[in-house]
Amino acid sequence: MNDETKKKINARYESELNKGERFWPDSIYKDLIVSLGIFVLLILLATFIGVSPEPKADPSDTSYIPRPEWYFLFIFKFLAIYGQIPILGKIEWIATVAIPGVAVGLLTLLPFIEKRPDRHYVKRILPISIMIIMVVGIVLLTFTSEVPTVAADGSKMLGILQSISGLIIPTLAYIALILMSYVFKSSTRTMIWTTVLASVSMIIVSGTVLALHPKPVVEETEVATTLVDQITAGQDLYSIHCTECHGDDGSVAIIEGVEGLEGEEITPINSKDVLYTITDSAMYEVIAYGRPNAGMTPFGKAYGGELSKSEIDYMTIFMRYMWDDRFEAPVIAPLFPALADGEVPSYDVHIAPIAKRYCISCHRAGKENNNYLMTSYEEILTTGDNAENNIIAGDEKSYLLQVIQEHAIMNPDKPDEELIGVMPPSKALKPNVVDVFVRWIMNGVPQTADEAAALFAVPTPEPAATAAP
Amino acid sequence: MWKKVYEWLDERLGLNDMYTNLLDRPEPTGNWWNTLGSASLFLFVMQGLTGIFLTVYYTPSPDHAYDSVQYIMEGVAFGWLIRGIHHWGATLMVIVVFIHMLRVFFTASFKYPRELTWLIGIGLLLMTLGMGFTGYLLPWNQRAFWATTVGTQIAGSVPFVGEFILKALRGGPDLSALTLQRFFSAHIWMLPAMLAGLIGVHLFLIIKHGESHFPTKED
Repeated sequence: MNDETKKKINARYESELNKGERFWPDSIYKDLIVSLGIFVLLILLATFIGVSPEPKADPSDTSYIPRPEWYFLFIFKFLAIYGQIPILGKIEWIATVAIPGVAVGLLTLLPFIEKRPDRHYVKRILPISIMIIMVVGIVLLTFTSEVPTVAADGSKMLGILQSISGLIIPTLAYIALILMSYVFKSSTRTMIWTTVLASVSMIIVSGTVLALHPKPVVEETEVATTLVDQITAGQDLYSIHCTECHGDDGSVAIIEGVEGLEGEEITPINSKDVLYTITDSAMYEVIAYGRPNAGMTPFGKAYGGELSKSEIDYMTIFMRYMWDDRFEAPVIAPLFPALADGEVPSYDVHIAPIAKRYCISCHRAGKENNNYLMTSYEEILTTGDNAENNIIAGDEKSYLLQVIQEHAIMNPDKPDEELIGVMPPSKALKPNVVDVFVRWIMNGVPQTADEAAALFAVPTPEPAATAAP
Repeated sequence: MWKKVYEWLDERLGLNDMYTNLLDRPEPTGNWWNTLGSASLFLFVMQGLTGIFLTVYYTPSPDHAYDSVQYIMEGVAFGWLIRGIHHWGATLMVIVVFIHMLRVFFTASFKYPRELTWLIGIGLLLMTLGMGFTGYLLPWNQRAFWATTVGTQIAGSVPFVGEFILKALRGGPDLSALTLQRFFSAHIWMLPAMLAGLIGVHLFLIIKHGESHFPTKED
């Protein structure tokens, strides 16, 4: 750039300054308005959307699908698309290092590449077209980042469409634009139309990809954030994984009714001996590693169990706050709302939490339970070797009602052999829990709260009691 | 009385000079797109302030990081607001800085005499992304852990020096306490220090050359 051009540019800027504004207050005022707007937006986002809770990092959980921050998603998608190219696609570093490196390099050195002093967009159509296609591509790759390149049924349709919009169209458009600019000397109008055509077709192809791809069902992992939630989550997990051997309050000293561990003597885990001498991290480790010599299997995912780090943390928190007298437990909502006279319980509100706490420790897949599973409404009513007798709506001879009221069912063929023992085997249910089951079965096993409310028989109020002055 | 105080300060600080040189400058007729730079600066300051508050409770160790963030969200008064602003501020900052870059590109404001402003600006854009990358790991939750695992893996695919970069980033072959310490240090000391320094130079250059005017057919 020679001195004359520089002089011209500076003179041009002087003339703009002369008919311009003052930095203070004109420019600052606009800046302040925008910053204030951003501040308000930040507060609204923080208040109404917030930060979604996530479980604790768990290096052993290899089933977790890793995803980068949203602003790096496009690089990821680009990598996946690039990986489809035969032969070249196998050389990973071309896509991870070379291409982004060249792009960043070009962007950095832009003032030395585009040296002409022209600033109006009509005179800079090539760089502007390249940037527009680049930005459209980045935005589209970000939006399609959830779509796999190979569908679950092995079809490569989506992958091919994605490479058309994310790789082929932009590459062709870039070649065409560069040829138009340097070889054919095409008009600005033609180049603008080429850019528009490329961008629109990229948007259409990506739109098709998004429309074809069924929205994946995102598995929501529940994260307990408050202490009460953590204790409740811990109690539910304890009920499922530990009750079989340790009992629902941790007081079992001799294991009963567990195959392979029958009669094994253990220390009651709710005793002061255990709670006062074992730290939280030791407790965590016992649950995660198990006690192989004492017959306790590992529960942590890293050692072949099924519990994540967060889940084991919840269990230790539950044990501390509920059993350790040095900790003051917060007020915890009851397992199910108390029933009024004549009120009919429903599966959703009453039975489900009770079953989760007291039954599904054994009554779930993979345990010895006469094939009776209790994890859903359908399962409770229809599964099991004695499905036709387990729950008979309106019949107090339902096996379930008999066994939870300390009355074992005898085998009709061999009268001295138990078909089903009393349930739960270790400790009888509290009377109010039994009452919920009785009312539920006697009133026709309603599933939802609304169905149950329709069955609510209002008891006749006693006029004398309420009419007192 | 106030006049005397002002005069005393002016004599020593040069307040009047500052006013004429910094604030009462002529500018080309402004455009709303020209506010993106100051918006980026505002977001940087917000991130700095909320970040400083977060370090009061945050503990950068794998044993305590998650719980300390949990405590900020549940136990500390308005902790959820501070963390919420920091979380969303990061997202907004990446967007605003990127659009700021696009604006400068489309109006060709990077040309003579503002080439150096552009170079530093690209450095600021890359460092903003670096801040996002290092900050993402700090809550030590599943998403953070695995995002960093794959992110550092990509850095490890560089030919020849990839393995060295990977180990330098992670502080070993796998993500560990060292990685968290490293990212924490980069996130609260190294990158912000460099960012602040470069922002200073960026601002100096903007004041020196003035804001570029919106190009017309003459340009």
